[in-house]
Amino acid sequence: MDKKDIREKVKAILISVLELDRLEMKEGMTAADVAGWDSLNHMVIISGIEREFNVRFKLRELNKLEDLNALIELIHQKQLAI
Amino acid sequence: MTLLSFAFLIFLTVVFILYWSVFRHSARSQNILLFLSSLLFYGLADWHFSFVLIFSILFNFYVARFITGNRTRGRLYLLLTGLTVNVMILGYFKYSGFFYDGWLHMMGIQGGGGKYNPLHIILPLGISFYTFQGIGYLVDVYNEQIEPCNGLLTFTTYMAYFPKMTAGPIEPANRFFEQIERRREFRYPVAVDGLRQILWGAFAKLVIADNCASVAAPILDNYHHLPASTLLIGAFFYLFQVYCDFSGYSNIAIGVSKLFGIQLMRNFASPFFSVNISEYWKKWNISLSSWMMKYVFYPLSFTLRRFGKPGLIISILITFLIIGLWHGADTTFILFGLLHGLYFIPVILYGKISKNVINRNSRSFPTAKDAIRMMGVFLLVMLTIILFGADSVSQGFYYLRDLFSFSVFTKPVFPGYNGYPKATMTLFFILVLMSVEWSQRNKRHEMQIDNIKNRKLRLGIYYAIVLSIMLCGSSVQIDFIYSQF
Repeated sequence: MDKKDIREKVKAILISVLELDRLEMKEGMTAADVAGWDSLNHMVIISGIEREFNVRFKLRELNKLEDLNALIELIHQKQLAI
Repeated sequence: MTLLSFAFLIFLTVVFILYWSVFRHSARSQNILLFLSSLLFYGLADWHFSFVLIFSILFNFYVARFITGNRTRGRLYLLLTGLTVNVMILGYFKYSGFFYDGWLHMMGIQGGGGKYNPLHIILPLGISFYTFQGIGYLVDVYNEQIEPCNGLLTFTTYMAYFPKMTAGPIEPANRFFEQIERRREFRYPVAVDGLRQILWGAFAKLVIADNCASVAAPILDNYHHLPASTLLIGAFFYLFQVYCDFSGYSNIAIGVSKLFGIQLMRNFASPFFSVNISEYWKKWNISLSSWMMKYVFYPLSFTLRRFGKPGLIISILITFLIIGLWHGADTTFILFGLLHGLYFIPVILYGKISKNVINRNSRSFPTAKDAIRMMGVFLLVMLTIILFGADSVSQGFYYLRDLFSFSVFTKPVFPGYNGYPKATMTLFFILVLMSVEWSQRNKRHEMQIDNIKNRKLRLGIYYAIVLSIMLCGSSVQIDFIYSQF
């Protein structure tokens, strides 16, 4: 799966978990830029991503993520490693 | 020496003048002055406890360096050792009495009586705040989220910085390091902004919090003789007492820090305009709640993420149990935390969490639906504050039991000297506070009025606040509540 597809699926997960009407994914976007993405539902999103892409994250990997692009890159790397 | 004492005013003036004159030439000299003045500030409170603070500083500084220098599994053990020692120090001073008492109770022994009685241990000033900063720093270094601090002077200034020493905010290390590693230049607008914030903090503390105390204290002390309508008023004023006491302190601390060109994090953001409990905790004691979210809730919810919402609920309950315990070694605080944790369950199960916040901030007035939800959150918080302020669990429960009775519809009585006029006056100032908070809710703080270009209007605001403090400020000044934690 290429990064574009990963991006679209992550977007769908965010819209579904956060019950958003729509979401515009921008360059350098962080959790703080997405309405409703807070520490309370962060792990629901992460868990949804793990299920969707069949990957497992480590806490330290998540701690180092700076923006949404970094998350997409991490998913991509994990998929390549499978 | 509290932040609203004459002694502190002298201390602050001297440090301010020295900071921007003799010590202004380099970041190092500025930090040396801040360190020495912090040590003096701390030593004046109780010099004995300076040793605990100095140990905490040296211990965390060197453990972080060892963690960074170690690339093996040993770094995890170093982190665990660091965390254990921090928790043990805090536990010894803050909780040994609580657990010792509980143990005696379990064994059926009445009173201590022995030579070693931990109930007599005195809590060092600010220990809960600087210990949490130390723990956060170690975890961040371990997770490679920040570089370890190279200079002991920088780290010491971070840990001991006097404006935040007594009651926070619990400042993240990276934000603070960035600011004090470079020389600060005096900026007039920043200093004025700081003075405005101090003025607002003093108003909240002296005019509202201390007057609320004189209304609420006689009610809380004599609750068993009073109708539910009075108990409701008592809880209302006590909640505003705690809020204005702590937010007032935070505004003063942040304002004082701005005088030295250092920006501390915001600690309160109009929490009573929250439409659910999750939003409330993003706006109340922000530095503590964000610390807890980062270092307790986040790892817990990560570990339990496969369990979905039940995992989230367990994580939030444990987090709020610790928040309760952080406030003090008392069952009332534990129940206070637990109750807040329980409030999150409906939000986790059914809530849309914070989707509507942005829309609300752009409106002139809240919608009827939002207003009702805000009042709901306020009432829920008000119930918990009774436990927070109760001397014992039984007192808290009896107060709550008496609150839910038909006497809530009777005419309230006001015990204590001048109770009714004082309550009316304080209510007026609470309405002023809430109006200002609503109109300024998108600003960094309530007194950010640099957009008012009319100088006379700005001066009018200052005079009005100073006059309120002079004419209506409580004659009995009460210590800041959170400096006891």
